[in-house]
Amino acid sequence: MIEVTNLVKTYGKKDNTFNAVDDVTFSIPTGKSVAILGKSGSGKSTLMHIMSGLDKPTSGSILIDGKDILSLKQKDIDSFRSKKMSFIFQSFFVQAKESCYDNVSLPLEIAKISYSRRKKMIEAALAAVDMSEKINAKAGELSGGQKQRLAVARAIVNSPKILFADEPTGNLDSVTGGMVENLLFNYSKENNVTLIIVTHDADLAKRCEIQIHLKDGKIDSTRGII
Amino acid sequence: MKITDIVIRAGRSLKQAKARTLLTSLAIGVGAFTIVLSLAIGAGGRDYASNIITSNTNPQELFVQPKADANNDPTKPQKYTEGPSATYGNYSVKLLSQSDVDKITTLDGVESVTPIYSVKVQYITTEGQDKYQVSLRSFNDGVKLDYLAGNSENISTNNGILMTDTYLSSLGFSDASAAMGKKVQIAVNKSSNLAGIPESKIFEFTVIGVVKSPALAASPLSGMQIYKDDIKAIYDYSQKGTAMYGEYQGAIALAKNGADVKVVKNNIDNAGYEAQTAEDLMSFIFNFINVLQAILIGFGVLAVLTSVFGIINTQYISVLERTQQIGLMKALGMRRRDVGRLFKLEAAWVGFLGGAIGSGLAVIAGTIGNPFISKALNLGNTNLIVFEPLSVLAVVVGLIIVSVTAGIAPARKAAKLNPIEALRTE
Repeated sequence: MIEVTNLVKTYGKKDNTFNAVDDVTFSIPTGKSVAILGKSGSGKSTLMHIMSGLDKPTSGSILIDGKDILSLKQKDIDSFRSKKMSFIFQSFFVQAKESCYDNVSLPLEIAKISYSRRKKMIEAALAAVDMSEKINAKAGELSGGQKQRLAVARAIVNSPKILFADEPTGNLDSVTGGMVENLLFNYSKENNVTLIIVTHDADLAKRCEIQIHLKDGKIDSTRGII
Repeated sequence: MKITDIVIRAGRSLKQAKARTLLTSLAIGVGAFTIVLSLAIGAGGRDYASNIITSNTNPQELFVQPKADANNDPTKPQKYTEGPSATYGNYSVKLLSQSDVDKITTLDGVESVTPIYSVKVQYITTEGQDKYQVSLRSFNDGVKLDYLAGNSENISTNNGILMTDTYLSSLGFSDASAAMGKKVQIAVNKSSNLAGIPESKIFEFTVIGVVKSPALAASPLSGMQIYKDDIKAIYDYSQKGTAMYGEYQGAIALAKNGADVKVVKNNIDNAGYEAQTAEDLMSFIFNFINVLQAILIGFGVLAVLTSVFGIINTQYISVLERTQQIGLMKALGMRRRDVGRLFKLEAAWVGFLGGAIGSGLAVIAGTIGNPFISKALNLGNTNLIVFEPLSVLAVVVGLIIVSVTAGIAPARKAAKLNPIEALRTE
């Protein structure tokens, strides 16, 4: 359960302020897929950053499973993120010069998973995205779709509770994009993982159980919120 | 993040930028090379010097001189003091008299005192051979000698002389054993004589031993040795009747067996003389080596200092290049401290590589160069470049620390990076 209450994020000073996120309140039950929709500048990315603890709001609160993440110290937020959350980005951010294995290994190293347990987890994650045979290939040699699948493997390897995806199909053609979408939705369903997709793609948003439309930082309309 | 994982990731990042890593390390390597080599030369030089000391002096010996006025300013006229003195140009040195020698003999810890008889002989020869210049010194059983034949056993009774091997062929002996038991003649000039009526006397000695002129000896003409009474006899003949007779430039005090030379030195100093131990006398060699070494190390340190800026620069570029990677790592929950560590450890790797490459090359160069240097300087089996594993290790560790220090500022920049900014692609 993610509860967002009266969230405000203000940029600028004195007379020159504007609210990127303006008094946003909603809650997302665990295991749901959520689309945060909006044009660029609507505040959807800022909202995602705040929800994941990467950014601090000006006011408001975020409770994740009853825990106020804004009251945590930086190192506890980091630790929370490494254990409970994961990210998928539009531009993949895979390390081109590293092997697929090492790319997927990074979140496990950050979460201090012991060396002996890592290998199995990495192999399982790569198998889940159908990339097992690429385990030793350099990430730079992969196609765009494969890179994003690798990024998905990296995101799910440590069994997160919340998966943030920022325009996950924005850099992909419709076929490979569809594959990645399927991967994400299936993973979310099968593992009861909350999937939060930030997008301006209405078709992708339709596949989500909950849709939150943002306009100028405010919630314009919602669908599916109970 | 575990430190081992950070070390591995740091190493991997460097491997991905091989050329840059290697070049940055080489800059440090130059410093490491210089420092390791100068440390080795210093160590070898000190070994060499202490070899000289043990083969030329007896550690229980002290060289005693009259006390010089410490406040003397040699640029100003000197005050006249009563007592015997020797004059060199317009500078005069006080001398020791026999009563001084007797006084020193009674001091605590002093076994015996032998005045330094400045003996000047005319030549040495043997039957049917040419005359050669020679210097004589008093036999000292505390000095290590390398006997080619014979020994010093009967030196006090037989008018024996220990000959240096360099004279063998000149005096017509085929080898060391051929010289044994042979008579040599040494001519001494009587100094007290009036000019124009030269008078000299031949002293005859028997060769009881042939010693190798030590390879490490300071003087190539390090003299032949005869018993101290024989030296005195020559001195008496040559100097008696001159104003300088019975006045010595110095004396050799022998500390009692088991007595601490430094304590004896203090005793003699307190009695109004100036004593120097063998180590004191040789300390100038150590000083010279230390100064030389310090200069060399100075150059090495300069090279390291230059390379520090190289590391800082490289690391800053690396942080800029990997902005997205850093952003990703922080988004995935990597702590600031760990991000900083990652970059500091990369710097540490660079320092380690540079140190290892530089000192490795230095060891190789020194090992290859040693035989040539020894040959060129005629040092025999002595190596002038001596590598001490511990000091090599210390240099490498030191360079790692220096590199990490250089990496602090870039690492801080990486740690402070805002992940949102870093991951903004447009």
